[in-house]
Amino acid sequence: MLRDALRAIDRNGERYLLLIFYTLVVAVIGVEVVRRFVLSYSSIWGEEIARFAFIYLTWIGASAGVRNRNHIRIDLIYGWVPERHHVWLYVFADLATMAFAIVAFYYSLIPIATSINFDNVTDGLRINRSFFLAAVPLGFAMTMVRIVQNTVRDIADHRAGRPIFRGVKLFE
Amino acid sequence: MYQLHTASAGLDWTFWGPVGGMVALILMGVPIWVVLGLGTTVLLSTTEVLPLTLVGETLFAGIDSFSLIAVPLFILTGDVIVTTGLSHKLLRLALATLGWLRSGLGTSTVLGCGFFACISGSDAADAAALGRITTPHLVKKGYPLSYAGALVASGATTGILIPPSISYIIIGLTLGISASTLFLAAAIPGLLVLGTIIVTNVVVNRVKGYETSSGRFDGAEFGKAFWAARYALLIPFIILGGIYSGIFTPTESASVAVIVAIVVGFGTRQLRVADFPRMMERSAEVNGVIAPIIGIALLLAQALAALQVPQMFVSGITSFNASPTFVILLMLCVFLIAGCVMETTPNIVILAPLMLPLAQDIGMHPIHFCIFMVTALGVGFITPPLGLNLFVLSGLTGVPVMSLARHAVPFVFALLLAVLVLAFVPTLSLWLIPH
Repeated sequence: MLRDALRAIDRNGERYLLLIFYTLVVAVIGVEVVRRFVLSYSSIWGEEIARFAFIYLTWIGASAGVRNRNHIRIDLIYGWVPERHHVWLYVFADLATMAFAIVAFYYSLIPIATSINFDNVTDGLRINRSFFLAAVPLGFAMTMVRIVQNTVRDIADHRAGRPIFRGVKLFE
Repeated sequence: MYQLHTASAGLDWTFWGPVGGMVALILMGVPIWVVLGLGTTVLLSTTEVLPLTLVGETLFAGIDSFSLIAVPLFILTGDVIVTTGLSHKLLRLALATLGWLRSGLGTSTVLGCGFFACISGSDAADAAALGRITTPHLVKKGYPLSYAGALVASGATTGILIPPSISYIIIGLTLGISASTLFLAAAIPGLLVLGTIIVTNVVVNRVKGYETSSGRFDGAEFGKAFWAARYALLIPFIILGGIYSGIFTPTESASVAVIVAIVVGFGTRQLRVADFPRMMERSAEVNGVIAPIIGIALLLAQALAALQVPQMFVSGITSFNASPTFVILLMLCVFLIAGCVMETTPNIVILAPLMLPLAQDIGMHPIHFCIFMVTALGVGFITPPLGLNLFVLSGLTGVPVMSLARHAVPFVFALLLAVLVLAFVPTLSLWLIPH
């Protein structure tokens, strides 16, 4: 039961969250535009929700990009290094990502702590800012999990002589 | 010379060490957003110019902007247009408009890229959507596959040069200039680039004789194609009309465009609810690749500003008593090299604050500067090693990137010519904006 749930999250975690936040961005801004035309009035919390949904969309999207290996990189070196060593290039890039993810995770927790301590609320919705600030550490926590998964899989693939996962193409 | 000396004396190993490290990591194939993030973190700890807590704050606050939300929305609009098959109708209209020329199909392909650019705000989406549909037809007409790929890649550079454009939104955010004004200013330069690419193809075709179409303009077919494309044309009308008349902000117009495209898709029964997850997921992934780079590049730009790198740069250059022509050519060189080795988004966020003071020093209007910079960086989409459009087309056609790049050479030179014209004729960029 728990195993199935974990597997579902592993397969679709980013996807479901991205769908929710994307829909939220489109719908909220659309409703705000209509409201401005029909009622000549727009709310301050509408824009706020859209902005925060966008930040979640961005950092969860970054995690999806790590998982699918489609972040932009210069791949000249793959032409210079023999193919059987490519796995180490991927592992190295993932470890560098891990290093930055740890830094970003740690330093993005600090503003959250401050917001909680000082009861810092947002201008529109009047709820604690930490709910919104949490987008950054959440995205980087997911990124860290994906990197561990990538690295374990890459090394297993390499040992078993399977081809390395080279990423999903974004534009096809 | 004295100023130049102090300028370089101000930056020691604490600056050049991290910068060198970033170059090394990029060459080792580490994703660009990670390189910029790690590099800035190290730069902040060695120079101690700003507290490291800035990292956590900027990753949130840097992208906490209403105008930036237009980025995922314009990406999604492009995806909806492709899924609903409206892109085919735009191409049919392009063919009915200019297909009767001797190089009719090639010309129409580029014109189709231009139509699509009026809807989509990104470049690679443009290249992918049109490359898939047009390259087989171009080959059937007699173009070699690698030239056909280079042609679509070049035509797709208009994706960010013709408004709406993600690049103009980002440079507007970076420099504090309204994206609506930039969209207005970019209209003539964007059309100039489109025309340049069309003419280049006509000339190449004259010399090489790839395509010999013949025919004459068919008014009835044009009318039919126009009617078939009416909904697809409604969308740029809403986006650009709404922004130019001041009714919508770019973000609002993008969301209205998405909703209209979805309604049209349902109305014409080309779109099903089942298409949504895949479509939105893909757009979200594209956003997840672009937007983190914006946030992190802003962090680096702040660090550079705190280190007074822009001022040093300006005083270093002005100490030569350089003429405005020299400064413009120098900026052009920097943009071209940057465009070759880096992606447009970090280039804009890092270089725009660095170069704007220099441009203002020689009396260049900030909006003129933005147009010049984005167009010059646009050339980088079809130059190796990091020409995003070449990569997309290479993925679609299976032709190696370098082979596409060779066939793109005439287009690179033509685009350079267009950039030079835009750089030295400010009126082209400033004519439409209110004074």
